[in-house]
Amino acid sequence: MSGFNADKLQKIDRRWLYVILIVSVAITLLVGKGTEIPVYPDDSSKDLYITLMNVPEDKPVFIQSDWTNSTRGESRGQMMALLRVLMSNNRKFVIYSMGDPQAPQVARDAIRMVNEERRKEGLDDFKSWEDYIELGNFPNAENSLNALGNNIRSAWGNRRRPDTTGVDRSVFESPVLANVQKVSDCGAYVVVTASSTIDFAVERISDKVNLNAMVTGVVGPTVLPYKRAGQVKGLAIGLKGVYDMEYMMKYGLNHQLEGGVIKVDYPQKPEVSLPPVPNGQTFGQGATNYLSLHIALGLMILAIILGNVGMFVGRKGGKK
Amino acid sequence: MSSFPVLLVDQIKVLLGALCIVGLYSVLYKENKIYRFFEHMFLGLAAGYSLVALWKDTLYEQWWLPMTGRLTETGTVDAPGYWLFALLLPIGLMAYTVFSKRHNWMSRIPIGMILGLWSGQQVQIYWNKFGPQILNSIKPIVPTGTDGFFQQSAYDFVNGAVVTKPDASLILSRIYMSEVINNMIFLVTLLSALAYFLFSIDLRGKAATGFNKLGRWMLMIGFGAIFGSTVMARFALVIDRIGFVIVDTFEAFTRGPG
Repeated sequence: MSGFNADKLQKIDRRWLYVILIVSVAITLLVGKGTEIPVYPDDSSKDLYITLMNVPEDKPVFIQSDWTNSTRGESRGQMMALLRVLMSNNRKFVIYSMGDPQAPQVARDAIRMVNEERRKEGLDDFKSWEDYIELGNFPNAENSLNALGNNIRSAWGNRRRPDTTGVDRSVFESPVLANVQKVSDCGAYVVVTASSTIDFAVERISDKVNLNAMVTGVVGPTVLPYKRAGQVKGLAIGLKGVYDMEYMMKYGLNHQLEGGVIKVDYPQKPEVSLPPVPNGQTFGQGATNYLSLHIALGLMILAIILGNVGMFVGRKGGKK
Repeated sequence: MSSFPVLLVDQIKVLLGALCIVGLYSVLYKENKIYRFFEHMFLGLAAGYSLVALWKDTLYEQWWLPMTGRLTETGTVDAPGYWLFALLLPIGLMAYTVFSKRHNWMSRIPIGMILGLWSGQQVQIYWNKFGPQILNSIKPIVPTGTDGFFQQSAYDFVNGAVVTKPDASLILSRIYMSEVINNMIFLVTLLSALAYFLFSIDLRGKAATGFNKLGRWMLMIGFGAIFGSTVMARFALVIDRIGFVIVDTFEAFTRGPG
């Protein structure tokens, strides 16, 4: 032990830690791709899956997409999992943003990517106007949500989109929104966000719609009280939330698989039994990155332990 | 052959994206000019993009079209224009008079309108936000179910179907010991955390100061959990970027056309 210098443990150059992190994550991403990690989904994620799988056929889902590439690591996975569930169940949806002006573009990209996945599997594309409507960006989430809650026909009345023949028409003439007179006519309302726009939605429309959220790990803890109080019905948080959704899309919820196995159970809601999604891809960004997340967190914990060991050994040596 | 240019464009896009990410992350090594270059480029792109998006998605549809009206393809009036919308422009521009010492009083007009709207909404939204949480804070702390520590499963699976037990409603309505303990922890956390912010009264005695101190501990535990979630989120973002630089770039250059 005489050659052991405890100080060194506390003075590891941070750049070496970055290199170790990058190398181990990269190796995991390349080698561990497709590795399925068993997971026990959070109850809040289960509630979100229940909501999405039970959307009435004749009601569109409203998706408020308020994320950009800055949180792609979590939000894109959430958005794609959401789109996969809806498209797989053939549910129409409306998508719009009330946050960053860049948000509509990343949402469009996500729709395009899920459509490409479906095409590869021989499934039909989801078509703009007939199956979904993309409304673009609404500035100032507070006032836009207020307007939406008060009178949706007025709030979205100016928005026009090309129909199947390419002629611009009011979005309320589309098959998606034709039966919508007020915001409560939506089958479910999902906010995919990396910011406080979920707060504005809770404040202004949580008493009118079945409000759900898919948020980043940073925003997650602030949304949990809303979930507990029933203001938000379903909630997926961060990359764990993405993988929870993907896992349930593959194995269902309270659903007996071949051999009598139930992969995901929900003892608190025995009356619910939901199958996996009927078609399309299930595993995506969540499954791809979840193993790497474990490796990265493991490394961080190891670094903390090493630093603390160095500190305690150093203190002990100092006392002598 | 037709797919070749598309593939090449994709490869260039991915490569440029990867270069930008590596350039931005180079700050981890040390502050350098490459990082500064990409940082400024990113900010410039974001500002330019936002400006176009603001016009295209917002001002054009929400302001310009209602103001100027719309014609059909045959040239007849589809929607008449409401020229009063033009008044919004000078009101909005008044906000910029904040930069002039002589005219900055005008900036208070749009700011006042925004503050007025915001204040009005606060009255309306307060209960929506906090009401359900206050109501949800009232939780049972006396057990009513004594046939187990945890809540019993109220269902069985028979031949792949969910079968609810005959006494399921009774099982679900009971409050089990585990739930009571959870609720007690919640109640103590709530009250002690609130007590920590009680500055109007001088707390004396071991019980009062101890409860106050417990509140501080509970807050610290809460902040620790939030910080843990934040760290996990940041790692998820880094992993995505590493995945883009290494995996996506590798795949873009190894997959064939089509």
